[in-house]
Amino acid sequence: MKRTFGERLVRSGIRLPLILWSLAVLYPIFWMFLGSFKSNAEIYANPWGIPEQFNFSNFVTAWTEYNLDTSIFNSFVVTALGAVLCLVLAVPTAYALERIRFKGSQMLFTLYISAMMIPMVLGWIPLFFLLAQFNMLDSIIGLSVVYAMSQLPFTIFVLTSFMGTIPKSLEESASVDGMSPYGILWKIVTPLTMSGIITVTIMNAIQFWNEYFMALIFLQSSENYTLALAIDFISNEAQYTNAWGVLFASLVFAILPVIILYSIFQRRITKGMTEGAIKG
Amino acid sequence: MVQTKKQKYLFLAFCLVPTFIMFSIFTLYPLFSGLYFSFFEWSGTSQTREFVGFDNYIRLFNDEIIPDTVWHDYFLVATKVIGIMVMALFIAVALTQLKIKEAPFYRIVFFFPNIMSVVVIGILWMFIYNPNLGLVNSGLEMIGLEEWTRPWLGSETWALPSLVLPSIWAGIGLFMLLLMGGISNISKSYYEAAKIDGANEWQQFWKVTLPLIWPQIKISILYIVITTLNGSFIIVQVMTGGGPNNSTHVMGSYLYQQAFTQYNFGYGATIGVMILVLSLITVVLLQLLLRRDRVEY
Repeated sequence: MKRTFGERLVRSGIRLPLILWSLAVLYPIFWMFLGSFKSNAEIYANPWGIPEQFNFSNFVTAWTEYNLDTSIFNSFVVTALGAVLCLVLAVPTAYALERIRFKGSQMLFTLYISAMMIPMVLGWIPLFFLLAQFNMLDSIIGLSVVYAMSQLPFTIFVLTSFMGTIPKSLEESASVDGMSPYGILWKIVTPLTMSGIITVTIMNAIQFWNEYFMALIFLQSSENYTLALAIDFISNEAQYTNAWGVLFASLVFAILPVIILYSIFQRRITKGMTEGAIKG
Repeated sequence: MVQTKKQKYLFLAFCLVPTFIMFSIFTLYPLFSGLYFSFFEWSGTSQTREFVGFDNYIRLFNDEIIPDTVWHDYFLVATKVIGIMVMALFIAVALTQLKIKEAPFYRIVFFFPNIMSVVVIGILWMFIYNPNLGLVNSGLEMIGLEEWTRPWLGSETWALPSLVLPSIWAGIGLFMLLLMGGISNISKSYYEAAKIDGANEWQQFWKVTLPLIWPQIKISILYIVITTLNGSFIIVQVMTGGGPNNSTHVMGSYLYQQAFTQYNFGYGATIGVMILVLSLITVVLLQLLLRRDRVEY
């Protein structure tokens, strides 16, 4: 079918905002990468253009003088520890809530789910003193626990819906063969739920890697800073030191792992997030 | 092997108890304890925690900054809901209904800001708004609107509206995908029937698409409202810290300032209770407001 002139006009009229919005999304990100290669003088002289030459000195300075190496290491530890702890706590509970009939199971599920909607900011004040009592304030371990707990309801929620799709017959025949429930959970259900586990773990990891506010409250000394805190610190300091190039370089460090994960797991991430929002 | 009752309960306990203990300590206890804290005057460091009854609540109602923070939060809620929904709907319809070849590219690009750290988003946009270097002011100068240039984040009038754009920028992707999911589930036959009845594309949108994706629209609005009321303070903290002169403080950032920089922990908890109550009321009201009979053709 031939398209009329009018249809073509409508089509290009609709394309234009799409193209403009892609520019609005992509340009600031590209620009951040470009800025990380510029000297401070060049950032002032030519803030939005291509750098004259690509030099990596900003990255080196950020890494060595601003202790970004420690912050990146801390962020990795918090991310990994938080994600693992969250799984360890969520998998058995999700399985019990999905598969075992017991009194109050629906109530417990509702309790976990409603915790997703409650503003945790109220809890952060008592949590601050609780962590202080446990000697977990200003500690990477303490922050990992807090992170794991913050994503626990969401993780349970995603995992139960994944486990609901596994046919029960596999567990039943394993049980007839004499496998204990612990064995079934570990050797049958966990491998079959792997897809869900991977999806939710990637999303949790991105969340923990990016998190800023809880780190701001629960960490104090600079050697415990996560990357987000270190960047915030460099940003505040840059008002006086004008170390913009270093700031951009540290932003690049923060965004690179997310870009890599997104390019590998794009489908999983988008699917997981939309489903989480629909049912949540 | 038949499980005995005891074995079953042992397994159940193994699955549920450790998680629930952790959840009680790190989630339930702090929430309830926050309610309790709101009745005390407490600077945190000293042991003197004084029960003051409803004093903090009286203070809350007399605090001149509080109504501003509430208004700022709802301003962000309203502008974000409108901005994100209009744009996400437009993009979702464009990408699903008009067979655009590069649609997957747009989908991937538009979603990406959703998984960027608020710190990165905030700092990027601080540069975009920068009075001397920023894109906004240089763009205005380029098209000859020099009198419109201003220090966006440094102006008491413009700082809060300036926070809306980054929030929309970062938020559209998720809701675009949600709505696209809804639209692609609509059977083609409805559109064909509408075409036979002589409906143009605009009418098709209003009479077919919109009513059929109402559940997704409702979820999206609720989700934006909840996440804004529970989390708008993060971008505020990064970009303006509540300033200039409290003109961008939202409830959460004011709580942070009261509790963690001025050490009024009791009063901070009272603000937290207010956030909890307001967001619960808002969600319940919205659910009533957005209720609409399920459309089936």
